[in-house]
Amino acid sequence: MLFNKIYKLSVTRLVLGVLLTLVFTSCKKDFLDKQAELSIPEDMTFETPERILAQVNGLYSSVKQGELFGGRYLIYNDIRAEEFQNRTSNVVTGFSSYQFTNDPSDSYIANFWIVGYLTINRINKFLADFELPENQGVVTDEVKAIYIAEAKFLRAFTYSALVQLFAQPYTLDNGASRGLPLRLTPNTTSEGNSMPSSTVAQVYTQILQDLDDAEANLPESANVTRAHKNTAIALKTRIYLRMGQYDKVLPEAEKIVSPSAPFQAPGGVTHRLAENVAAVFGQEAAQPENILSFPMDNTNAPGTQNQLGYYYNAGNIEYYLNRGAGSILSDSTGWPLTDARRLNFVENYNANWTILTKYSADPPYLDWIPAIRYAEVLLNTAEAEAEAGSLERAHALVSAVRERSDDSYTVPEFTTKEIALETIFLERRIELLGEGFRAPDIQRRLLPFNSVGAGASIPHDDSRYVFPIPTREILTNPEVE
Amino acid sequence: MRKLVSLTVMLLLCTAVAFTQNRIITGKVIDATDGSLLSGVTVSGGQTGVQTDAEGNFSISIPASVTSLTFSFVGYESQTVTIGDRTYLDVALSSTESSLEEVVVVGYGTQTRKEFTGSAATVKGATIAERPLQSFAQGLTGQASGVNIVQPNGLLNNPPVIRVRGLSSISLSSFPLVVVDGIPISTADVSDNAVTNNPLADINPSDIESIDILKDAASASIYGSRAAAGVLVITTKKGKAGRTTVNYDGWVGSNRAVRLPEVLNAEQFVAHKNQAIENAFSVNPAFSSAPRDAFALMRDDDGNIIDTDWQDVVYRTAFSHSHNLTVSGGNEKTTFYFSAGMSDQDGFLKQNKFERRSGRFNISHQLTNRIKLFGIVNYTNSINNAPNSGSYDGGAFASSGLGRIAMAQAPNVPIYNPNGTYNLEASSIGRGANNIAMQWVNPQVLLDMDKNRSENNRLFANIGGEYEIIDGLTFKTSYTWDLRLTDNQRFWNPIQGDGYSWNGHAYNRTSRADNWNWTNTLQYRKTFADIHNLSVLIGSDAQNTRIENWGGQRDNIVDPFFTQYQGTFLNNTAAGNSIDEIAFEAYLGNISYNFDNRYFVTGNIRRDGNSALSADNRWGTFGGASVGWNLSNEAFFRNGGLGNIFDNFRLKASWGKVGNGNLTNYYGAYNLYSGLIYGSVPAVRYTQSGNNDLRWETSTQTNIGLDFAILNNRLSFEVNWFNKDIDNMILAVPQSPSKGIPNNEILQNVGSMYNKGWEFVVNYTPVRTEHFRWNTVVNFATLENKVTALVDETTPILTFTSGLELSSITQVGYSAASIYGVRSDGVNPENGRRIFLDNQGRQVQYQHLGGQDAWTLLDGTRVSSGSVTGATHVLGNTQPKWYGGFNNTFSYKNFDMLLNFTFSGGNYIYNGTRAGLRDQRVWNNSVDVLEAWTSEKRDAKIPRAIYTDNVSNGSAFLISDNVERGDFLRLQTATLGYRLPASALSRSGISNVRFYVQANNLFLVTSYTGVDPEISSNGNSNTASGIERNSIPQGRMLTLGLNLGF
Repeated sequence: MLFNKIYKLSVTRLVLGVLLTLVFTSCKKDFLDKQAELSIPEDMTFETPERILAQVNGLYSSVKQGELFGGRYLIYNDIRAEEFQNRTSNVVTGFSSYQFTNDPSDSYIANFWIVGYLTINRINKFLADFELPENQGVVTDEVKAIYIAEAKFLRAFTYSALVQLFAQPYTLDNGASRGLPLRLTPNTTSEGNSMPSSTVAQVYTQILQDLDDAEANLPESANVTRAHKNTAIALKTRIYLRMGQYDKVLPEAEKIVSPSAPFQAPGGVTHRLAENVAAVFGQEAAQPENILSFPMDNTNAPGTQNQLGYYYNAGNIEYYLNRGAGSILSDSTGWPLTDARRLNFVENYNANWTILTKYSADPPYLDWIPAIRYAEVLLNTAEAEAEAGSLERAHALVSAVRERSDDSYTVPEFTTKEIALETIFLERRIELLGEGFRAPDIQRRLLPFNSVGAGASIPHDDSRYVFPIPTREILTNPEVE
Repeated sequence: MRKLVSLTVMLLLCTAVAFTQNRIITGKVIDATDGSLLSGVTVSGGQTGVQTDAEGNFSISIPASVTSLTFSFVGYESQTVTIGDRTYLDVALSSTESSLEEVVVVGYGTQTRKEFTGSAATVKGATIAERPLQSFAQGLTGQASGVNIVQPNGLLNNPPVIRVRGLSSISLSSFPLVVVDGIPISTADVSDNAVTNNPLADINPSDIESIDILKDAASASIYGSRAAAGVLVITTKKGKAGRTTVNYDGWVGSNRAVRLPEVLNAEQFVAHKNQAIENAFSVNPAFSSAPRDAFALMRDDDGNIIDTDWQDVVYRTAFSHSHNLTVSGGNEKTTFYFSAGMSDQDGFLKQNKFERRSGRFNISHQLTNRIKLFGIVNYTNSINNAPNSGSYDGGAFASSGLGRIAMAQAPNVPIYNPNGTYNLEASSIGRGANNIAMQWVNPQVLLDMDKNRSENNRLFANIGGEYEIIDGLTFKTSYTWDLRLTDNQRFWNPIQGDGYSWNGHAYNRTSRADNWNWTNTLQYRKTFADIHNLSVLIGSDAQNTRIENWGGQRDNIVDPFFTQYQGTFLNNTAAGNSIDEIAFEAYLGNISYNFDNRYFVTGNIRRDGNSALSADNRWGTFGGASVGWNLSNEAFFRNGGLGNIFDNFRLKASWGKVGNGNLTNYYGAYNLYSGLIYGSVPAVRYTQSGNNDLRWETSTQTNIGLDFAILNNRLSFEVNWFNKDIDNMILAVPQSPSKGIPNNEILQNVGSMYNKGWEFVVNYTPVRTEHFRWNTVVNFATLENKVTALVDETTPILTFTSGLELSSITQVGYSAASIYGVRSDGVNPENGRRIFLDNQGRQVQYQHLGGQDAWTLLDGTRVSSGSVTGATHVLGNTQPKWYGGFNNTFSYKNFDMLLNFTFSGGNYIYNGTRAGLRDQRVWNNSVDVLEAWTSEKRDAKIPRAIYTDNVSNGSAFLISDNVERGDFLRLQTATLGYRLPASALSRSGISNVRFYVQANNLFLVTSYTGVDPEISSNGNSNTASGIERNSIPQGRMLTLGLNLGF
């Protein structure tokens, strides 16, 4: 009996002991301390030079997203005018923009705004965090200055797209109209939802400020997928052209376009036209002509329904070339069948559809995105010369672009400024077809959209002329309007 | 000696008297629901009483004067049977859910219903075992008051939406905690392709003994942080000591789609579309989207008009069968339950299939008279297959979604070309005789070649023991391991559908979910002085869940010969990789006391830690208390005459506070960066704005209840009032997009919401005779949900159906997840244009293709499109204001019948499918459009058809014309069964045979015009319920079943 009692007691103690041990051991603090294993915590992002560089690449990758310059920026700007016809009636792939029926609640266009500002916030956060005391000394000041310059270049590049799509052209009233919220500091908390829009002029001032800062510190040479000095300069020719400040285009152009043919950049990366226009596009960017291209790779393919070859080529033929009157395709005089750009980039898919084949139809659509190329710089310069300089040099510049693709064609003499401009516009429609220039070229000249989708001409005072600010912004930031 | 003689004589006489006047009655007693043999049933007649043996048999000797026998058994309703001149009686006893002796499984223990002072509903396993369901949860519809269940649509194993007393959260899961034999298990869809895979289907419904639904906070609070949405406590079957029983249950069934929308046939389609094109040209002569007479009838080689019924192509009458074998039994020391089950179910959507193979072994062994061991091993393999139905959460607008294609595909084009090849043109179906390209894919190709598959292999193992240290003091430990391996496979063919632009695509992902749980409790139960009943419990609970996913994506197939991931592809990348881990740790205590079974008090407390919250805020203390007063046990009640009326009368009240730790983001407290690739170089970028102050969301609930029984327990009534306040709601607070916060949201503790309502249960047995019995249970619940605070008064939470269509708003002052859109105001009889109400309440008409004059006042004044599209309003609540069930069981001799009705109402549904069915693009339309406006039909409700118009009927943005009331009454289940009389089985060795036929969803009464008012195209979403968008319908199922007992 006694034995039994002792046995009982000791088992009781044992059990209670186990229970208490359990209570205290499972109290170990780390049991509830779970860290994300596949994400890098904020306080480790500036630990090594490699990781800082990866952050810079991360900013480029953000700019390159499909919702932004990796697809949609080009698409929205090309499908709104007269060159393309929609095949699929799919709202997901721009049907409402095409028809000019998009309204502020359109979630696809809102996505452009959202990813645009996400990119800007990433840039702002990178710029701010790079100045924190604990993040100093990992890279040299020289390298740091380059990275900051790249970030500012990307911020200017992103704002230039947002202000073009969501605000009135600068040329309407010298930028006096409502622009965008100009976010220049990082946001990581729930504070600061409200911010009124700056004017269009203020946005452009910031863009130019960032580009000037970038130009000062960017390296003279770099690879085509990152910004270098000439990239910032090239973008400035585009920005001033959009602002209608032709006289300011020329000094910038002077830095990267030699006075006479054969045109090439005198300093930094020696940009010049590629001999064959077909070589400019594809799964790698030809360095001399492509100033900035966004790379694609098997392990970094464009996202679904954002791939250019999916939209225009046989990938899915979301949009095929308009054959109707007024389209560039129908202008066989201005764009003869002998032109390499017709021979290489236009194809009759079947009896019904003629398609643009500038971008490959092979999945997963790894053609690099041509963001800035030298042909555009030459045409920007030509237009500025025609407006504010030499018609003769303008002619030479346009001829360089045209004759590269069709040496049987003679660019008509520029006897007047009007002829010069008309010729330059024609050349831009041909050369830059499918590269996202049509809408901004129309808008900066305040011309009407000759819209196939809307079946109408949309003048610059039409409320549909530019995209409205998305509902999601207005709801959370009513001051934006 | 004389004395002895006389005594003997007397005895003999007595015996003689007894012999002449007594008779012996034998018979068998079974459970009326499942036919199992009942041993230990008390059989009494006159002064005599016996008990049934292990086989359910009894033999009783009674005087001739006794004309009836009474059968009584704990947990069953007593029954009195008139003997007549029979000597053998077959008796079936019914268990009753209102029975106070019934056990309620509460957290970490059990209580009888009479001790239980919280609010819970119990559903018996038999209710759900015989039905063609994939998971038990689907079978709970209408069975428990205050529990609303919506099966999103007819896609097999689509997780049901379960709401216990309304919406429990806005950003966190509102799905109740599911606890199986003590361990909380995951409940979300674990498929990452177009098939749905509800892991609850890994539990064979036939293995379930009971489901207890804990509704009030006091009873749920023992589960602390996990219990804000209520708790489903699943108890699996255990063996009983005594005779070993063997049961077979099986059914075969068929299933077909009902309430499919009626769409235009080929001739109607061609005429309608061509007229719409004419109308377009009349509005804009420069119209370029289609030439005149673009649509044309096509004829086959025999000259017959091609008129394809795409619903026939996509849907079918499907066949299913299910079998379950159990062996259970044991002795005083060891009991066991073994089961093996297989279920093969085909969906009415072609290629939709659910297969489950499961085995379970539950054992319990009394090692010494103080130590008991128990264990469970359950292994399940379940395989889900489906084409892309577009009917899973997030899939509503999938361009390959067959639900939509079956409605919207042009009827005047064929499936196959005359030579037998598929009719195709680029990524769409071939245009046939039409002079315009078609938009939708040829669904036959997807059915034949695409694959979505999600397979679970799941081990569920438990081992534990109980040690009774001293009398009344028991230590219990239980460790459970729930290991799930899920294999997701997706293949898209290269010639049509989602794989077209990839030139063939395959994506596989393997998921390993390792979930363990260890609980330890020490409980003391003691009755003092016969009237003080005390129970005290303390314990600890730790759980860790780690989910590792890895996978690969392959595309650009080298040859269309390959139809699987393992084929050869040009591009091969990693995809679907993730690692997530969450841990919970808790210490808990419970005390229950009752005085003389009259006054009841219970208290719970729990300290809870959750790794998903910020480090400084992750511990929280929760608890609850309840009181009960059983008036019917009071002397004044019994003696005061009330005792003659009421068989039972009880008041109860409870209050409790619980946390909600069901965060979907396990790392929401941190600012994070992700690694990625830019072209071919390493990149890192900012991807999450965390909140380092993230703390517990809490739910505080008060419950007051009353229950009583009268008419000798034939009528019982239960009513509960509850008020559930949810505070510190963790909301993904919308940030202004221009701030550039990743996903434009940050988790914050900012909102409040309440649910309150009444719940009534009436259980009545109108007829209870020897041969005929009718029992009816009505449960009815009301619910009022209102959001009282969000980040501020003016910032609502907007939710987009499938991420694309703005459909829902959660706003202060309204019920959460209300429908949000623009008010439409009919059709202008003058010109057939849709009229909207703009932001100033003015009537604005819309002219499609009208350019600058698209939006005008009725007098022609131009207005901006934004004045209409920005004029969005709350258009209706989607959460039902009342719902319940009406369940009837009948038995007549050997026949039994079950009629279960469910009803719900007071809510609105956005019929987005109708917006699509009236869209004037190349799509086919509902026959409604035949009633569209024309100059002859000026009073039409549908605007004039203009080709490409996606605005007037609500495709471009949600309009109130497509919002409908969702009230309905459904005959959820109707069953008719017949049990062979025992006499027919006497020598076969079979103890019980029952056949039944059953119909599910036999009829539906509703004014709703969509496929079904029980719909959720957004799955389990809290903030976008009540939306129908392109989902496949519900099915109607007929089954024929057999129960066999040995």
